Amino acid sequence: MTVLLAVPALLLIAVVFGWPMLRYAWLSFHADSVLTGLEPVANGGANWIRLAVDQRFWLDAGQTARFALISVGMELLLALAIALLLHQSWRGRGAVRALTLLPWALPTTMMALGWRWIFNTPYGPIEVLARTIGLDSLDLLSTPSITWLVTVFADVWKTTPFITLILLAGLQSIPDDLYSAFRLEGGTPLQALRRVTLPLLLPYILLSLLFRLAQAFGVFDLVQVLTGGGPAGSTESIALYAYLNGMRFLDFGYSATVMLAGFLLLTALILAGTLVLKTFGVLRPLDR
Amino acid sequence: MTRRSIWIALLLVWSLAPMLWQLVSSFTTADALVNEQLSFWNRWTLNNYRDLLSTDPPFWRYLFNSSLVASLTTLLTLVLAIPAAYGLAKLPIRWRGSLRTAVVGAALFPYVLLFLALLELARTFSLGNNLIAISIPYSALSMPLALLLLTAAFEALPNDLEDAAKLEGLSLWQRLRWVLLPLIAPASASTAILVFLFAWNEYPVALTWLSRSDLLTLPVAMARIAGSSTYSVPYGTYAAATVLGAIPLLVLVLVFQRQIVSGLTNGAIKG
Amino acid sequence: MTLELRAISKSFGERPVLKQLDLNVADGECVALLGASGCGKSTALRLIAGLDQPDQGSIRINDAEMVDVPAERRRVGMVFQSYALFPHLNVWENLELGLRIRGGTTGTRDARISRVLEVLQLSEYAQQRPSQLSGGQRQRVALARALLRDPLVYLLDEPMSNLDAQLREDLRPQLRRLMIGGDQPVVYVTHDQQEAMALADRIAVMRNGSIEQIGTPRELYLQPASTYVAQFIGRPQMNLLPAQNGVTIGIRPDDLRLDSDGWPCTILSREWFGANQMLLVRCDRGDLRMVCSGETTIAAEPQISWSSDCEHRFDGISGRRLPSA
Repeated sequence: MTVLLAVPALLLIAVVFGWPMLRYAWLSFHADSVLTGLEPVANGGANWIRLAVDQRFWLDAGQTARFALISVGMELLLALAIALLLHQSWRGRGAVRALTLLPWALPTTMMALGWRWIFNTPYGPIEVLARTIGLDSLDLLSTPSITWLVTVFADVWKTTPFITLILLAGLQSIPDDLYSAFRLEGGTPLQALRRVTLPLLLPYILLSLLFRLAQAFGVFDLVQVLTGGGPAGSTESIALYAYLNGMRFLDFGYSATVMLAGFLLLTALILAGTLVLKTFGVLRPLDR
Repeated sequence: MTRRSIWIALLLVWSLAPMLWQLVSSFTTADALVNEQLSFWNRWTLNNYRDLLSTDPPFWRYLFNSSLVASLTTLLTLVLAIPAAYGLAKLPIRWRGSLRTAVVGAALFPYVLLFLALLELARTFSLGNNLIAISIPYSALSMPLALLLLTAAFEALPNDLEDAAKLEGLSLWQRLRWVLLPLIAPASASTAILVFLFAWNEYPVALTWLSRSDLLTLPVAMARIAGSSTYSVPYGTYAAATVLGAIPLLVLVLVFQRQIVSGLTNGAIKG
Repeated sequence: MTLELRAISKSFGERPVLKQLDLNVADGECVALLGASGCGKSTALRLIAGLDQPDQGSIRINDAEMVDVPAERRRVGMVFQSYALFPHLNVWENLELGLRIRGGTTGTRDARISRVLEVLQLSEYAQQRPSQLSGGQRQRVALARALLRDPLVYLLDEPMSNLDAQLREDLRPQLRRLMIGGDQPVVYVTHDQQEAMALADRIAVMRNGSIEQIGTPRELYLQPASTYVAQFIGRPQMNLLPAQNGVTIGIRPDDLRLDSDGWPCTILSREWFGANQMLLVRCDRGDLRMVCSGETTIAAEPQISWSSDCEHRFDGISGRRLPSA
């Protein structure tokens, strides 16, 4: 049976993706930290109870969700606009498309310090620009209510090209004939966008949405290097919190609990989202 | 200027300005970085690059480490995924749907959540600080995408071709080598470059598995430099590091952009 | 070299495709498997080639049981409907691949390939890729590849169905000369009864997984065993009069003649083809197809008849041929 050829690859996936989840589930019911000499000791649901009342966790969860939703929302809108632009044919399109892909190529941590400098108060170019126009110091990286937007900006910058490519693929899959037929029916280009393009683009939009939401929920690289979770923990994400618990506080039991909780929250978020979309009939074009 | 040209220009500025700023900063003196009033001619220097290249370990070491890990990962992934995709493409239709859903699920998973358990495994099996060992989890993490792309490629081949090759007397290995693999070459190339980029960009696993400074991959090294001192980070040097570190990646992406685009496109269509 | 299929059965899931199929192909004989889509003919071919396995039954090539022999080792030369040429190789490489894998020196290989290319008039296309060739050229390359296999059996799966009528006529003699002349049995799958009549020594008309009738073209034409065979063989289609007294009468269109003493009828349509013409006439026995010479003048209300010797008599319910009275 040739399907046996797939066993090594599938086994590797199952182990690397499945084992951690099982391990976290087990660890979350144990205390495993410096206090226990780094050995797991069963403690019932103590970790979970601690999680339930852990203000920092719920704050982080909210911040992570907010980051993910806003970030992905903006990426989708921006990517759609860029994809529509790149879908038309004009000279140099190939070159421009290649250039717009570059932000995606760089590791997040690499640009993170760059962003820290760009938004640096008082020496970064943004501050300098603000001063030249006559604005007060913007303090973008040290104002808790604003800094998270900087992380959103950095995330949007890096991942928009990825979504743009997916949406471009979707645009290319729509036959030109449909637009011609629509025009003959008397539709304007704007109406075509709404009635032809968007419905047919829906599977791609949902795919990008799903993929990016899951990725954004696990945001780690960006916040660790750009803000360290600050100022005042305003940009701390679930993944970062789990990391701190595991690597800095050496509380592995709790770290596992946080990660598992994060995974469960993400799943709940996706299921809720799917339900909402279904109720509003948004998913109907997908029924083939 | 047409309205469209304005949008195109804005798009390019948005995409490239931050990177160009790094380039500019890398040639800027430390004084000029904090003093925008300094005259234009006094701003430039090559010191940042000089400092960067004389660190210990030397900067190119990180590029080497990342290249090594990425190459090993790509090799391992392809070696496992190609036969797997061949087998999966032959599955009866009944099983294909559910298996594809499972693989897509793995592809969407935020792998950062796995790092703690993976770290445990590294400690248990002494896989830490080993550039060869780290390609194993990397391979596993990029395997779902590889399987999706390569299975689709095999499924797209006409069945007759393999039948004809069988009747010509070719064994399975011979069929793969002379007929099937050449025909899925574009998909293999796309998969290879996407896996390579993933391995190069990966951070959480590298951060926890690699601690020896001469073994760090590029993202971890950059983060370490960035976190080394909060108040007097040498931004000029860091910018130089960004430029040097980015060049291989940018070149790679520009050279292989067609494969990248087609890989993502096909992945989207099948997903 | 002989080919023998015994009690072959094959189902795909719940659906039976071949039922207890028996077939013997003698030394150098060409048997056509003729039937509509879904009758199992292509499946039978794939079983002989080893590309699929039968659920039951045995396949013997030269008296050697083939059921456990994989397709790679059966020494079968097959021409696919799609030709299945390797798109990434040029013509020469397409022909060389199998030879190289099977061993032998470069010298003999090259000589054999050159010879086959010459015979099929493909020498000037040796360096071209399949995508650069016409349909007829691709088919010849597929034939060349099968020839080079030096096989025990030739299997042809509707090899001409993608070609236009003119090309088919041109290629038929070539096909006959190359493959049908030799020692190897040839199994030729087609849905085109004219092709089957032209090329085959015997024709097996297949229906729903079994052979309805097997015989020489002449036997099938003159003595069809059932109404199905009678209507499948021969163009235009045989006329079947509605059953009377449990008997269905069949008359071939060319057996009808104009007869001043015959049944009156009206002309529904008339198609003139030069050498002959085809009429669709209505009389009180029903609507009948008729063929006669193109030069015959047809009256406005012709009268037709036929000799009772030309009648084919079938059972009104089962459709099976009734023995002559």
